[in-house]
Amino acid sequence: MTLPTISEEDVRNLIPGVTEITQCGQGGQKVVFRVAVGDRVFALKFALLPSTYEPDDADVDESLLRAKRETEIMNECKSPYIVKPGPIDLGTASIGAQKVLYFSEEFIDGHSLSEILRTNGPLGVGSLQQLGLQVCSAIDELWSLGKIHRDVKPGNIMRRDERDEFVLLDAGLAFDIAGESISAGMLVGTMAYFSPEQFEYTNRRVMDFRSDMFSLGVTLYEVATGIHPFLSPTKSISHLYTRITRHVPPPPSSVNPAIPPALDTVILRMMGKSPHLRYRRMSQLQEALASI
Amino acid sequence: MALFAQHGHGKSDKIGVALKMRSIQGVILGARNEKMENVPGCVESIRDQDGQVLLDPQFYVSAIIPANDRFLPEYPYYKAARTAADFVGIKKLNSYVESTLDYQLSLGADRLLSPSVTFDSFESNWCQTALNLADASLDYHAGLSDAPPILLSFIFGEQALNSRDDLEAFLDQVTSWDTLFGVYVVICREERPYSQLFDPDRLANALYMSYVLGKINGLEVINGYSDFCGLLHRVAGSTAFATGWSQSLRQFHKRSFTKQPAGGQPPKLRYTSIPLLNSILLSELEQIHEIGRIADVLSGVTLDSALTETSDPDDWAWNLRISELHHWESLNSLDEKIGENSSSELAAIEQKIALAKELYVELAESGVVFGTLTRPNHLDQWSDAIKLFRSATSI
Repeated sequence: MTLPTISEEDVRNLIPGVTEITQCGQGGQKVVFRVAVGDRVFALKFALLPSTYEPDDADVDESLLRAKRETEIMNECKSPYIVKPGPIDLGTASIGAQKVLYFSEEFIDGHSLSEILRTNGPLGVGSLQQLGLQVCSAIDELWSLGKIHRDVKPGNIMRRDERDEFVLLDAGLAFDIAGESISAGMLVGTMAYFSPEQFEYTNRRVMDFRSDMFSLGVTLYEVATGIHPFLSPTKSISHLYTRITRHVPPPPSSVNPAIPPALDTVILRMMGKSPHLRYRRMSQLQEALASI
Repeated sequence: MALFAQHGHGKSDKIGVALKMRSIQGVILGARNEKMENVPGCVESIRDQDGQVLLDPQFYVSAIIPANDRFLPEYPYYKAARTAADFVGIKKLNSYVESTLDYQLSLGADRLLSPSVTFDSFESNWCQTALNLADASLDYHAGLSDAPPILLSFIFGEQALNSRDDLEAFLDQVTSWDTLFGVYVVICREERPYSQLFDPDRLANALYMSYVLGKINGLEVINGYSDFCGLLHRVAGSTAFATGWSQSLRQFHKRSFTKQPAGGQPPKLRYTSIPLLNSILLSELEQIHEIGRIADVLSGVTLDSALTETSDPDDWAWNLRISELHHWESLNSLDEKIGENSSSELAAIEQKIALAKELYVELAESGVVFGTLTRPNHLDQWSDAIKLFRSATSI
């Protein structure tokens, strides 16, 4: 996916009210700037629109619809573990020859879980527990609004350094169970963290919060062991489908002996191959995590 | 909870006796076989003996055409010959749910059983209707105050268990109801005479269902009309199982609820042998007595005394009533030994199956001839089903 090429100067010209502009990250489909509006700091995100984009396409362009969905969800959710919207609403602009969309959200002073994992290796049991409980709470709130995140993964979870708190980002792929699906019938999300039912284009299987529970299970496994349960450096990406739908990974404690057996049980159950093999309620999972 | 008597035609005094003997823990009354005016009295007498009471409203009979529905037309929720068109629209479903559950509420049953329809495939429209009725039942139940827990009823043909994929999708759906307390599952057996035979693939899938719902999801699971196989369900994760008295009432056959030409044979006298894991014919027990091996096949329950108090089979005080009470006492005796650990319980039942096979071989070598439906073929099927179940669940 191509990222927009945007300078700090471009940002200043586009939104004159922002100050202290610093590019602080890029990944997936977005370039992110840290900006100040008054005395508060926010994240300003930019993504490319198709070069053929016209304002009349606002209701059909997939990137814009996703961004709209993401900002709507941020507005609806009250959980402290889901990123909050910022003061700059979703907009579109032309920067040179590029057409871009942008919106703001809470700036989280911290690091993504994938960065933490890369730098520090596996988390301790206490942090794992906290991560699990907090992201559970975020998934639960999304589900209470009839939504599934569909892209829970280390790259979409940030840790606020000041409060040692985990926050779920990037609800742009969230699926509204009662309404129209963006990308209906297409594979969306990050395959390595897909639940088995996410591979089913036909949606014949139930898709509910238990799909996010699976992705969180994969994330916890990876953060507990430093190893992805399904990806293998020697295997092709096409092998991934079989691994996710068939392969039962060894207990995390077999890789990291510091993991207690009770946490093994919880993580492996979250990664049950069918939704009916996982926890039936997020509260059950939270209880199981809390009791470790 | 563990073993329930499944109420059928001609209950006589055996429910009361079995409750007194503690060989059953409760009764699932069948509306079809009891005049509505008598039901409150039945509930009271069961309660008086500390038994639990459920009423199977047998709503599903309304969609069996032509139905042998006996007393069901007396009940407020029942109407004969409902067709698919009668299940279109949520208003209709809500009215069926309301009348069926309200009637049970008035009885003070320990659990409410949702109205349902039978289906032969988890992909069928009738299955969807059953799920819609279940969903409407949960909604209605959520608005009731002080109501007992509700069990969702699912009554389906054993052929539905041919497809593991379809079953999995069905289980995904059922376990997605977060207010669900439990289920009442009845498997309609293929139309053939009473035996313990059960296709291993289907039985393994049935056990998987009990495991997923009971063990994994912590739901209360009652396997109605499951008879001997109910013990396997209990090991897999079910809370309780039920069986009727004589052979045609121990398992569920749609034929029993369909208008049939008059006639039929009276039930044969049977003996339920724990060591053989089967309910053999009394004539077969007499052969075993003749070769001096009767002690090897006795169940070791109190009602064996009807056989052991005399050495001459002609003097055995065995009759249909004792045979039926003995069947419950034997199943209950096996059930009481089932513990929580599925793995060790499966090993224990596999051991019992292996011993039963050996015993069958020894008896056959000594000249005992079993009938086609009381031979040990079911033991191989059960063994295969347990292997498949173990493989599916890694237990």
